[in-house]
Amino acid sequence: MTLTNAPRLETDNLILRGPEMADVEAFIAFSADEARSIGFGYIPQRDEAWRWFALNIGHWHIHGYGYLTIEDKVTGKPAGICGIWNPEGWPEPELGWVVYEGYEGKGIAYEAALAARAWAYSDLGFTTMTSNIVPSNTRSIALAKRLGATFEREYDNVQMGLDHLYRHPAPEALL
Amino acid sequence: MSDFAPLGELFASERSVYMGGPIDRQKLWYWVAGEVGSWSLQGFGSWGIETHDGSFVGQVGINKPSHFPEVELGYLIMPEFEGMGIAFEAAQAARAWAFEELKLESLVSYIDPKNVRSIALATRLGGVIDPDGSLPDGETAQETAVYRHRRAA
Repeated sequence: MTLTNAPRLETDNLILRGPEMADVEAFIAFSADEARSIGFGYIPQRDEAWRWFALNIGHWHIHGYGYLTIEDKVTGKPAGICGIWNPEGWPEPELGWVVYEGYEGKGIAYEAALAARAWAYSDLGFTTMTSNIVPSNTRSIALAKRLGATFEREYDNVQMGLDHLYRHPAPEALL
Repeated sequence: MSDFAPLGELFASERSVYMGGPIDRQKLWYWVAGEVGSWSLQGFGSWGIETHDGSFVGQVGINKPSHFPEVELGYLIMPEFEGMGIAFEAAQAARAWAFEELKLESLVSYIDPKNVRSIALATRLGGVIDPDGSLPDGETAQETAVYRHRRAA
């Protein structure tokens, strides 16, 4: 059963697709791993992580977008999540990414984020895009810069606290 | 999503103490999105309750987040619509739907033992306290009692 109306985006090494029930355990394992999930939102309790998985599906139904599962073409398994996120209290829709244990250092987040951003601009019609990154998350900041995003301002995020907002190049700047 | 604003007021207030509140708007949005996602994930979830004139008056739900051992029948009514029998009417409809569509033999309601109004409603619905019923993970008998609704034979 398909849980969302998410697209299927294919890149050289990855398939980005809607979240499915089989992806739950990989997400729960990631979110309970504090070292990896601290910049995303560390969720030590299993029931809370499960609720996040369900609310991402609700996010798709409410907004028509959300986090996609990044599937590694070689293993066929979830390698992370990447997508557009805009819950209550967010400054504006953002492009977010997360890579699971064992899939880091392979350029997966970069490849996935490029595809998700292109989809947001071409299919969803966004004319600008942000990424919210906690200042200590240096790897994510490096990736944002590699994607062409620039630091815009510091603000207080309702969930993450002190946060840095990066702005991506506009669609016309990427043509 | 038009249900969100009135729910936000309710969950910001002390009236939400037996509903898991008070919580802020951001967290509540996550809860509501989770309930929306539940319909796709599990085939059941929460309904908004409207009167025939379209007013949003509360929610009734068939829920089983991963820390619940069984499927729960839950309800909440907006303060200005309490005392009108709305929860009773809505819970009966949701329970009948769950027995018919989901083929469940029984449902539970997890209720704080201090929440006398909710206990009165569960009892009026025919729910019976189940001292052997399993509690949601991490909850104690001081916090939560299990009321069981059985499908009529």
